[in-house]
Amino acid sequence: MRSVAVRSAALILVVVLIGVPLVVTVATLPAHGEADAPVHAAVADRYVEHGVAETGMPNLVTAVLLDYRGFDTFVEVVVVFAALMAVLALPRGDLDQDGTPETGGDALGASDSPVEVSPIVFYVVRTLAPFIALFAVAMLYRGHASPGGGFQSAAVLAALFVVLTLILGRRRTERLLLRRARPWLEGAAPLAFALVGAAGMLLGGTFLSRPGTVDVHLVQETMGFALEIGIAVGGAVILARLFLTVER
Amino acid sequence: MSALFDAVLLALLITTAVTIARARDLVTAVVVFGLYGLLLSLVWQHRGAPDVAITEAAIGSGVTTVLFLVAVTRTARTERR
Amino acid sequence: MLLFGIDLDYLAFGVLFCVGLYMVVAKSNLIKKVLGLNVMQTAVFALLVTSGMIDGADPPVRTEATSAPFANPLPQAMVLTGIVVAVALTAVALALIVQIHADYGTIEVDELKEAP
Repeated sequence: MRSVAVRSAALILVVVLIGVPLVVTVATLPAHGEADAPVHAAVADRYVEHGVAETGMPNLVTAVLLDYRGFDTFVEVVVVFAALMAVLALPRGDLDQDGTPETGGDALGASDSPVEVSPIVFYVVRTLAPFIALFAVAMLYRGHASPGGGFQSAAVLAALFVVLTLILGRRRTERLLLRRARPWLEGAAPLAFALVGAAGMLLGGTFLSRPGTVDVHLVQETMGFALEIGIAVGGAVILARLFLTVER
Repeated sequence: MSALFDAVLLALLITTAVTIARARDLVTAVVVFGLYGLLLSLVWQHRGAPDVAITEAAIGSGVTTVLFLVAVTRTARTERR
Repeated sequence: MLLFGIDLDYLAFGVLFCVGLYMVVAKSNLIKKVLGLNVMQTAVFALLVTSGMIDGADPPVRTEATSAPFANPLPQAMVLTGIVVAVALTAVALALIVQIHADYGTIEVDELKEAP
């Protein structure tokens, strides 16, 4: 019909009008890869030079996330928590009082033709699961000195939970989320930031400040580690809960 | 040599993105999206960003792809029109 | 990394963004729109991390094995935050889509416009 053709042409015109100036602008930015590009001119040198001395963390990305830009990370974990609240606030006709569905069943295909989980997938996942969990915990523990940290552990733990739910069904993996303590687990990340921030206020005078010199090494490391545990546990539980809600 | 690897990676990225756009079957689109996440993780590693690579591999190819797959199973399997 | 007067990496990510934009704007299926949104987001992340890269640089983790120059850690931290926010956004959007399908029986925008 004519209106369909006109609509398609108008849409393509919109995309071209937005896309061509965008691509031209982006392609003519100063080229990446040189050490004196404008991107590096502001604060990156200071973070690279003095990062280890000021924060005590050889992993500069974790140093930026938890120390130099700690407020950004604080607000971001609150945003993720709010996303979970938004999903839980949707009206659901088939849920109980406390938010669990009335019927269990297999993960994929409960409302379609039943899908059999292949035995190869089952055994491989079941064998690898403890090693994956161990890897996530090891990344969390070494997060300040090698690639790793709070968000990475949360991602791997959430992926592990998702895969386990696929092969075991939600009934058995839901218990991992500890229904009684679940509100505390979900709010673990903002809570950790608030507590460590209050501790920083007692020690240094401003919210989320850390002792300036590396002499107070133990306190600094403990604060950083507490933040990372909060991010890892809170992030993993929130992602797992989001998956369970979409999956019904 | 690494410039050639770079060029191949980027060409593959664009090809998979166009495949996702053109696939009628939504399960195909989601599976190719999982491949897209994996290619992106390789791009991160090549750019010297191992933290981002780990997170993208776990979240992009793991959580997001399974989320999409579950949503497709619960709703429509093919795209009309 | 190649350079013929324009930066080919940035050009590729710009084109990727436009592919995602086309999917969001022109496709009628809601799940395709969310897929397009994800493609757009990852294109922006790719641009940010690539801008922080230095030729032949090590990852920004200062151990005995790495030496200067280091890649810029600031875009990487921003993109880490962005990836987690993107997955939260996708989860909320998909939960809404599943709810829409349960209520109206369809997830095509054309058909939803005519629904009562």
